[in-house]
Amino acid sequence: MTEPDLLEAPPEEQWQVDLERVGFMRRILNGRKWYGVDWWMVVISSIMVSFFIFIAFFPGLLATYDPLEQVGPRFLPPGETPDTEVLLLHVDSPIESLADLAGLGRVPTAVVQGAPSSEDIRSEAERATEELAAAGSDDRVRLRMVRLETLEEVLEAVETGEVELAAASSQQVEPLLEAYPDVVIAGSITGEKGGKAFPLGTNQIGQDVLSRLSWGARVALTIGFTASIFSFAIGVPLGLFAGFTGGKLDRGMTLVMDSLYAFPGLILAIAIAAVLGPSIFNIIVAIGVLYIPTYYRIVRGQTLSTKEGLHVEAAKSIGATKTSILRRYIFPLVVPSVAIIFSVNIADAILTGAALSFLGLGLPPTTPDWGIDLARGQEFIQRAWWLITFPGIAVMLVVLAFTMLGEGLTEIFNPKLRKQ
Amino acid sequence: MHPLVLTFLIFGIPAAIGLTWVFLRGSSGLRSYITTRVALTIPMILILATVVFLVMRVIPGSPIDSTLGPKGTPEIKERFAEQHGLNDPLAVQYGRFVADVFTLDFGNSLIGSQRPIVDELGERLPATLEMVIPATLLALGLGVFLGTRAGVRRKSATDYSSRIFSVMIYAMPIFWLGLLFQLIFGVWLGWTPIAGRIDPSIPLERTTNLLIVDSIITANWAALRSVLAHLILPTLTLGLVLSGVFLRLTRINVIETGQEDYVASARARGISQGTITRKYSLKNAMIPVITLIGLQVAILLAGAVLTETVFAWPGMGRYLIQRILSRDFTAVQSVIVFFALFVALISLAVDILYSLLDPRVRY
Repeated sequence: MTEPDLLEAPPEEQWQVDLERVGFMRRILNGRKWYGVDWWMVVISSIMVSFFIFIAFFPGLLATYDPLEQVGPRFLPPGETPDTEVLLLHVDSPIESLADLAGLGRVPTAVVQGAPSSEDIRSEAERATEELAAAGSDDRVRLRMVRLETLEEVLEAVETGEVELAAASSQQVEPLLEAYPDVVIAGSITGEKGGKAFPLGTNQIGQDVLSRLSWGARVALTIGFTASIFSFAIGVPLGLFAGFTGGKLDRGMTLVMDSLYAFPGLILAIAIAAVLGPSIFNIIVAIGVLYIPTYYRIVRGQTLSTKEGLHVEAAKSIGATKTSILRRYIFPLVVPSVAIIFSVNIADAILTGAALSFLGLGLPPTTPDWGIDLARGQEFIQRAWWLITFPGIAVMLVVLAFTMLGEGLTEIFNPKLRKQ
Repeated sequence: MHPLVLTFLIFGIPAAIGLTWVFLRGSSGLRSYITTRVALTIPMILILATVVFLVMRVIPGSPIDSTLGPKGTPEIKERFAEQHGLNDPLAVQYGRFVADVFTLDFGNSLIGSQRPIVDELGERLPATLEMVIPATLLALGLGVFLGTRAGVRRKSATDYSSRIFSVMIYAMPIFWLGLLFQLIFGVWLGWTPIAGRIDPSIPLERTTNLLIVDSIITANWAALRSVLAHLILPTLTLGLVLSGVFLRLTRINVIETGQEDYVASARARGISQGTITRKYSLKNAMIPVITLIGLQVAILLAGAVLTETVFAWPGMGRYLIQRILSRDFTAVQSVIVFFALFVALISLAVDILYSLLDPRVRY
């Protein structure tokens, strides 16, 4: 014989008791106490999801440049300033820009022999002269070129005051500058303060990687949301219908859906996308079709078990019509479980969308899209690591955010699923 | 001999022997299960082939347009349609298509050398198998090992780190993981080659097109080394991505079986934790994992398409993408049907294996 107290049901845990008592908002607010890790998952991932949705609505806030335009030199590594031609002056020199040279006669200017600097500064001087002429002045900016063998000699010449100024490429000058304390960089020869740096670098045609990333968020989220809504809108009614009516129709539909489900989704999407041709609408259809069985299976299963419930029987006995049973007694009980899949489904759709455009099938080739950027980046993997790194991180973070949100919500709203 | 036939023999003969053995030794219940399951494979193939047929024919954008592109004049289009029987009623086309599927006669490629597609597949299928099989083994080994450890020591550092690993690996696009491996191991460290199956300067006589087998039977060790080196990154990429799912499932099942009464009673008898895990938990926890292998075939093939594209691996997936981009409609359709056949056969094999492990599974 067993001890009688072992046969008693274990006392319910506090969180279960609490759950019975409080409402929707309290559940979430008290989450940290009850759900531990899962609560943190939901909080962090909702912040991430909101951030990405925000970026998708206002990509311009992160993207300072047009994602389709060349805005810098090609293959500029992240954070580095592009190579510009700079003016080198003596510390005590009163000169600040080329315009200050007007009327001083032929100013001795040192350049490295054969470097592009001499051409550039000459044309820049002519431009300064034209500007002066336009302003009504007769003064001219004139330079006397002093061509020297090496950059060190040029710096030496500025240091000793042998020449008034010099021009050289910023990247070459910067490492040498320490040895010549009296030489300073007066900014680029065009008068701007240094070149612009791109936080994530530029790509093979000089587009800003960050700008493309943030416009890519719009493309990715559009595909994710619309494709999921598409599958939801078709899969849920079909599942409800099949589960509710049963019979031959149900069996036939389930066989088709199961076969579709077993078939490699990406390959099906590839086929559909290939036949439809590249456009954002077609990629949405291709991905949407793919996830119809996911909704169908879950809704059908839930409908099957829900329709045996006592409340449905009660509704039948008081003469409710089939439609109203379906609409008012089954649908509300089935839909929460689907809503949670929705988030994970968005993540899957984004992944598949990125894969399709990586393969060159989904979108027109100029679209700022993460998958397309990754495919382009692969061609230049030997020289530009940043082209494949950042779009990949973007895809991963978005997918991670939506997956974690979905899974965390499942744990919170289906406490029965929590495994001890 | 045709490489496709050879490949089928290499994998088919052991499978057939195993199946016959099981069939002869098994109980009558098992026998009827296997018969029903084999019979069910045919409608499954039919449905998948029909889906492919419908996708390729019925949705807007006809095969004529997608093959000829915008350049095709009406006359050219008409001739093309006539040649490929696209003017026949849909039912006739469908009948011919299904007949082709069951006789494995896929016709000729529309572009380039216009070789029979079966020949092309004979070169590509072994390449895919050579990558996919080691990747599955890696995924299974890694997933079950880490999943068991995480499940046995719940809430330990191992548990949390393997859960984070499985979530991260799920969120990571497989092609990006491949690119990262190429960047790190191929470009920065220079340890492994980043593309292809074998160093093209090494001569190798190809009979089966499974390059490992080919280099072993010709005792060509230089080739074998090169083949294995080329295999590392694709296998690692595909294997790691697949291992995440196995890890999660193993972990949950080990936790669940760990709470069963028979485990508690084993523990009460003083059996060590290691023995309990191996002989009591893991064996039962493995049953759903085996089922998962069947479901994973879909993910595996999709992953293979992407991995092959990243690593320029001349397998089925890369062939599919190349043919889509060059608008070779017949080849595309055939490859997709071939994938469907593959899926149907693997899920058949897995279900039979499952029924052996779990005597409750019967029709």
